[in-house]
Amino acid sequence: MARYIVRRLLWMIPVLFFISIVTFALAHAVPGGPFDREKPLPAEIVANLNKYYGLDQPLWKQYTDYIGLTRNPAGEFAGVLEGKFGPSYSSRSRTVNDIFRDHLPVSATLGLAALAIAVGMGVPLGVLAALKQNTFWDYLSMAVAIFGVSVPVIVLGPLFILIFALTLHWFPVAGWGRPSQMVMPSFALGLGSSAIIARLTRASMLQVIREDYIRTARAKGLSERMVIIRHALKNAFIPVATILGPMFAALVTGTFVTEQIFAIPGMGKYFITSITNRDYPVVMGTILLYAVFLVLANLVVDITYAFLDPRIQYE
Amino acid sequence: MTTQERAVQRLTNGTPVPKGQERKVTNLWLDALQRLLRNKAAVLGGIIVILLILMAIFADQIAPYHYAEGDSNENYMVPLWLTKVMPGHMEKYAKIGDKFILGADYLGRDILSRIIYGARVSLPVGFAGALTALVIGLVYGSISGYYGGKVDNIMMRIVDIMYAFPTMLLIILLMAFFKTSFGGANEPGTAAYTFNQINKIVDRFLGLEGGGMLFIFMGIGITAWMGIARLARGQILSLKEKEFIEAARMIGASDLRIIVRHILPNIIGPILVTVTLNIPGYISTEVFLSFIGLGVDPPTPSWGSMISEGSRAIRSYPNQVLFPALALAITMFAFNFLGDGLRDALDPRMRGTS
Amino acid sequence: MLHKKRLFGLLTILMVLAIVLSGCAKGKATATEINLNLGTEPPTADPALATDTTSVQVDELLFLGLTDFDDKTLEVIPELATEWSVSDDGLTWTFKMRKDVYWVKYEPGKKPKKMRKVTAHDVVYGVKRTLNPETASDYAYVDYIIKNAEKVNTGELKDLDAVGVRAVDDYTVEFTLEQAAGYFPGIAGMWVNRPQPQEAIEEFGDKWTEPGNIWVNGPYLLETWEHENRMVMVKNPYYYDAKNVSIEKINWAMVVEASTAFAMYENGELDVAAVPLDDMDRVKADPQLSKELYIAPMLCTYYYGFNVTKPPFDNVKVRQAFSYALDRQKLIDTVLKGGQKPAKTFACPGIFGSPAEDPNFEGITFDPAKAKQLLAEAGYPDGKGLPEITLMFNTSEGHQKIAQFAQQSWKENLGVEVKLANQEWKVYLKTITEDAPQIWRLGWCADYPDENNWVLEVFHPTKGANRCKWNPDDPAAKRFMEVVEKAAASSDPAERKKLYFEAEKILCVDQAIIIPLYYYTRVVCTKPYVKRTYAPLGGEHIDKWTVEPH
Repeated sequence: MARYIVRRLLWMIPVLFFISIVTFALAHAVPGGPFDREKPLPAEIVANLNKYYGLDQPLWKQYTDYIGLTRNPAGEFAGVLEGKFGPSYSSRSRTVNDIFRDHLPVSATLGLAALAIAVGMGVPLGVLAALKQNTFWDYLSMAVAIFGVSVPVIVLGPLFILIFALTLHWFPVAGWGRPSQMVMPSFALGLGSSAIIARLTRASMLQVIREDYIRTARAKGLSERMVIIRHALKNAFIPVATILGPMFAALVTGTFVTEQIFAIPGMGKYFITSITNRDYPVVMGTILLYAVFLVLANLVVDITYAFLDPRIQYE
Repeated sequence: MTTQERAVQRLTNGTPVPKGQERKVTNLWLDALQRLLRNKAAVLGGIIVILLILMAIFADQIAPYHYAEGDSNENYMVPLWLTKVMPGHMEKYAKIGDKFILGADYLGRDILSRIIYGARVSLPVGFAGALTALVIGLVYGSISGYYGGKVDNIMMRIVDIMYAFPTMLLIILLMAFFKTSFGGANEPGTAAYTFNQINKIVDRFLGLEGGGMLFIFMGIGITAWMGIARLARGQILSLKEKEFIEAARMIGASDLRIIVRHILPNIIGPILVTVTLNIPGYISTEVFLSFIGLGVDPPTPSWGSMISEGSRAIRSYPNQVLFPALALAITMFAFNFLGDGLRDALDPRMRGTS
Repeated sequence: MLHKKRLFGLLTILMVLAIVLSGCAKGKATATEINLNLGTEPPTADPALATDTTSVQVDELLFLGLTDFDDKTLEVIPELATEWSVSDDGLTWTFKMRKDVYWVKYEPGKKPKKMRKVTAHDVVYGVKRTLNPETASDYAYVDYIIKNAEKVNTGELKDLDAVGVRAVDDYTVEFTLEQAAGYFPGIAGMWVNRPQPQEAIEEFGDKWTEPGNIWVNGPYLLETWEHENRMVMVKNPYYYDAKNVSIEKINWAMVVEASTAFAMYENGELDVAAVPLDDMDRVKADPQLSKELYIAPMLCTYYYGFNVTKPPFDNVKVRQAFSYALDRQKLIDTVLKGGQKPAKTFACPGIFGSPAEDPNFEGITFDPAKAKQLLAEAGYPDGKGLPEITLMFNTSEGHQKIAQFAQQSWKENLGVEVKLANQEWKVYLKTITEDAPQIWRLGWCADYPDENNWVLEVFHPTKGANRCKWNPDDPAAKRFMEVVEKAAASSDPAERKKLYFEAEKILCVDQAIIIPLYYYTRVVCTKPYVKRTYAPLGGEHIDKWTVEPH
């Protein structure tokens, strides 16, 4: 197992390397530069700015400087390998590291809260639907679940604001910091995922309750409640557990719309605005960060899977 | 989407089609169809999908107005019936008139017509995503799984790398690149120009006057195929050592023939299910792209652009967002019902459960 | 089922908790606090680096300039300077400074600390730091009127001290200019020329603007800056005019989405908010909101420019015809709806020298008959024989709407089919600067309220960006250059007005290099308990606002 994990972690190196090259190339292939302004800056000032940020270097050199393989114009190795993700062209006082430090926790908190809601709503709905398969309750739970996927956050967000803030006055409209400000965005973000979990729980529950050991359990005379909780639910949860990792990654990386609507200082905004501003280090930094996040999430899934299902073995 | 793919993959992995069934391929499909037709929700979903496709094709005939046609003097017009259904304050400030069944948007364009034409964007996005995923994923996965060994290893490592890309961010970056580099290319001879011309042809084919649909297809397509590729590969790996494949190989069937005639029919079921269930995901990707300004170019309507513009007007004119969102939700429901039905019908383990 | 119950239970507890907590948080605002929206994260609080309105707003409250603009009259008024004078040749400006202004350092949690007095040396340091090529300040170019500023900024002169600014004594600063400039007092007070605290900048480098590090001298201190989230400013107890600053605390939100910000306003979470276009009709009809509504002018103009080298717009009559064919008032009434004013000049009303409100300035207004006639005279009766024409704008729903209106008008009034094209902002900027299409759009906002900032800095064929590709050898262009240069150098207001009148006439009427469309406004709602001012440029003076108990 340990060897397997080490091998997977080592594999991250070429993956991230490849991703960084593709992202770097794509980001620089988008025409226009970070210092194109409505009132064009004098050529000399653009030259000053380019020099300040090392953008006057050949492209390959900019890349190796960024990675930290070569000395930057200031004569230092100060790149990703050294843990430095570079400056942000649109905010002189803040580096990409600062941005990670300030905003990743926000996105992660929001993602976790959304995940909790997704599980908290999805699993019960799915179990209910499976136990009462093809009854009114099944259809109702699945309708609720599909509603979750069908209504995008773009609609849910303003709708929540309208209902829960402006009409019922339960929560503040927007902002971040107080627990009350977290409720609406977490629900808006988590509802879609809860639907996925509900459907998955239903499907795996349906499969599990037909297994022999459940029949055995029933035959032993265990109460239906015991059968469901002790045996069925635990096994039905395996496929659900395995998607939590990637789902968490998707929730954390997919917060832009929620952030925008509820004025939340998360990471999503940075990625979008950095593309429009041609803020290359921020573009690179966010993609690399999320890539690490995704790879780790997938790894965690595979490990959990091995733990939950003894039939799986990694050499 | 990744999560769903993985889930389906996990559910289907390790449970190859039971022996004896592969010889009765046609029966299996007929059987599945019958089961599908017995599933009321799936039939309803199918009918809705067909109606939506017809609506998109005959938009010119059905829509009361052209999607770009509007008089600023009639902007935000609200239909009378709506003020009765949603009594409140709209009567106090809105222009109320019966000219538009669902009201007019901020430029006085008929919302109903724009929803109808919007189907020409949202449905193709869903289908194009599914088709790209199916074609690339199937071909890629088949080659990888069938040849195995080194080929498989390299091809799957590439998929691993693609998987590590944060999908949404990659789509955004790709869209920014396509839109800026290809969208404005006017000099013949360059690759960018060719793309731009193809883009115009695609738009025209879809019955739209501009919009940049090809770029959205490409952005979604490039990131959509990996799941299917993995799924197909897994299925083939478990199938290819089976006796009937060996037999086919013995009698000298070519690799292509073996894949197309013997393997594909056996693995297409779960893949079809996955693809169908992913269609709503592609459609909502378009909604997201519209929200961040990388969707179709105005004035071409898409449900995504109508929803993201309308959501900002939800306080004053709820109809701006309500009806496009309803169209989207109905479509999502339909594809979900259809996909679920397909899965129940094609998944042998679900047999006899209803 | 137990499992499920527990989950639901947990969820319920969470929700109740949240509701209780939200309840607690309400009603906290006291009369001396105000909740405002910055609109976005300010890219910087460093006056040398600020380029955008948000950063300028922050700097306006933290740093004093030598001069400021009166919110109502836009006249230059004293701030850090008490008086100023100019030498007879108009080249040397001397500013006498207040002696009661302190640098204040405030580490949140501790008592604000008086560091030392603000002196002329701080102004000199600030100007030189802005012009230092290593600072790479975007806005350094506004100082190019100062002697040797351009040469130092572009690296042609290595000696920073060659810049024409010096401290005569601790409280007198003297600027030497390249040429006489009547508008210079306005420039002297701009954010890039504000005194900057050398000690803090040297100690903390790029991080000197963070709370706890920053030294300020304005009416407010920076208490909190949670990036992308919120900023808190508290009243500076050592501000020289502290007794007249009423609001103790400013809570800045950074809500980008206008509809969210307005919902916050309606919910009492913000005291001031811009009104989104979608909510305009509702707000106007609402008995309460309509009273809180105010349409304030902004010193900005929206215009279409021509590329005068590209046919058919190499012909002045075609340009004029296109300008006459647009009904600006209808555009405002049906499309824009924000109480904008139709434009006939480039510089908007309020700018010194702008003939926008001069009854003698005729300008081009909607006249379809004349438009048709001009087009016929140019050799294209009813648009026959015209080459393909493209109007380009940067991708945005708003510009799209305006472009569609123009497209429609030209078709109706001239019989001309114009194609629309759009590009993403940065690509668009590149396109219009390098090879502008036949017609393109831009807006311009004042940096300082003087025509020089408009006609010379934007349209001078050799000193501006010259996106119109106006040939400097063209006689009209020559005359235009002569007029705007002469006006810049003159210190006689009457003469300058006359010259700018002529410049605007050449630009917008005789040569019709551009089609001015409208002057911007902003539509804001303010809670009735806030007594406020409206700053047309340079950031709101919240230190002059008051909040009544509510």
